[in-house]
Amino acid sequence: MRAAFLFTVFAITALLVQTTVLPFTSIGRATPDLLLIMCVYLGLRQHSVAGAVGAFLLGYLQDAFSGSVVGLNAFGMCLVFIVVYMTSRRLWVDNTISKFVVVFLASVLKSAALLSLAALFMSVEGVGGTVLRYLLVEAVLAALLSPAVFAVLAQTQHLAVAEEE
Amino acid sequence: MLEFVRRNRVVLTSGSLLLLSLLLLSSSSRTRQPHDPLARLVLEAMRPLQSTAAASVDALTRAWRTYVALIGVRQENEALRRRVLDLEQEAVRSAEIEQTDKRLEELLNFRSTLGGDVQAARIIGRDPLPWSGTMVISKGESDGVRKAMAVLSPFGVVGQTMATSAHAARVLLITDHNSGVDAVVQRTRARGIVEGGLDGGCVMKYLKRGEDVEVGDTIVTSGLDGVFPKGIMIGTVTRLTRGTRGLLQVAEVQPSVPLDRIEEVLVVRGGLASKDGAP
Repeated sequence: MRAAFLFTVFAITALLVQTTVLPFTSIGRATPDLLLIMCVYLGLRQHSVAGAVGAFLLGYLQDAFSGSVVGLNAFGMCLVFIVVYMTSRRLWVDNTISKFVVVFLASVLKSAALLSLAALFMSVEGVGGTVLRYLLVEAVLAALLSPAVFAVLAQTQHLAVAEEE
Repeated sequence: MLEFVRRNRVVLTSGSLLLLSLLLLSSSSRTRQPHDPLARLVLEAMRPLQSTAAASVDALTRAWRTYVALIGVRQENEALRRRVLDLEQEAVRSAEIEQTDKRLEELLNFRSTLGGDVQAARIIGRDPLPWSGTMVISKGESDGVRKAMAVLSPFGVVGQTMATSAHAARVLLITDHNSGVDAVVQRTRARGIVEGGLDGGCVMKYLKRGEDVEVGDTIVTSGLDGVFPKGIMIGTVTRLTRGTRGLLQVAEVQPSVPLDRIEEVLVVRGGLASKDGAP
């Protein structure tokens, strides 16, 4: 319970940082997706229903701030979670480089999913070009930040578990 | 069946949530309503936090931009200050050149009025001793300058050469106590000898007591000493001293040449006509 609370606080903080601080440090319009990194963390470490619900809520939270239609990021996060979850059950993903690669691919996957859904459900012209232009940059930025975010999340989880015990 | 669900509950939950997301997406895109009521609630709950964070970031950004701007202003200020200094030095140089031009023009005019064989020279040194009145000029024997030649300026008599070397000469100023110039009072032609005084001025001695001399009278060279041409201004009488006894009177003379400020002089090498044109 305490872990869920801390995770929620961390998610809200990450969202605040992502919507206030990171736009000033972005490259072009590419901003690293901190919530996506959290979603990947859930897929790697939280093999439970709570993890899946957490991923959905992360996406839902992002939808609330994105100005887009509800369900877009929620779908993307759920997709990322399930892919990472299934991958981590078959592959050993524990060192820094593999996490780096997983976050990079997860970012590409999420962007591709959002692009596909936007094409299906929304009739906004030019979205594809914009997403494609910044897709790789965003993926690299997210991958670069992933070690730090993973470390903080692991520490948070460790503290929560220790206090519960 | 239950075992299957239990073993795959994470995948099934994720799949359900994927479907839910699609339903939400489909619903919201169909109604063209970007935020559902729950999302609005979340948005409203997050608003104070986001406002605070945004304000903090704005403040930090402004502070940073101000700092960067201040650095730019400081650099610009330093560059402008350097530029001002350069321009001031340039202005000083220009003024100096203008002053030199003016002095040299006066010297040339004076030289043309003198005629004869004269040599322009620059003052390159002054006497360090306060009681001694000499200066060094930039011309010497190689330029035809010899001992006991008159040294003049457009303002009047400066002195005479007392020692020479190949490329320089020392000039004994009329204010030195060893100096003596045969002179007359321009108005009355009363004759005397102008010698240097210890206070930086001159005195005209050997004036007969009965001669008509007044304060303000102009003293000029007589041309009788064989050094200075006739009619060159020496100075102005500032004070007269007549004793109760004796045959002579003494006049204090303020030299017409600002000896501590002149920078160029003319050395009379010979063949000079009198200033007043008399033979």
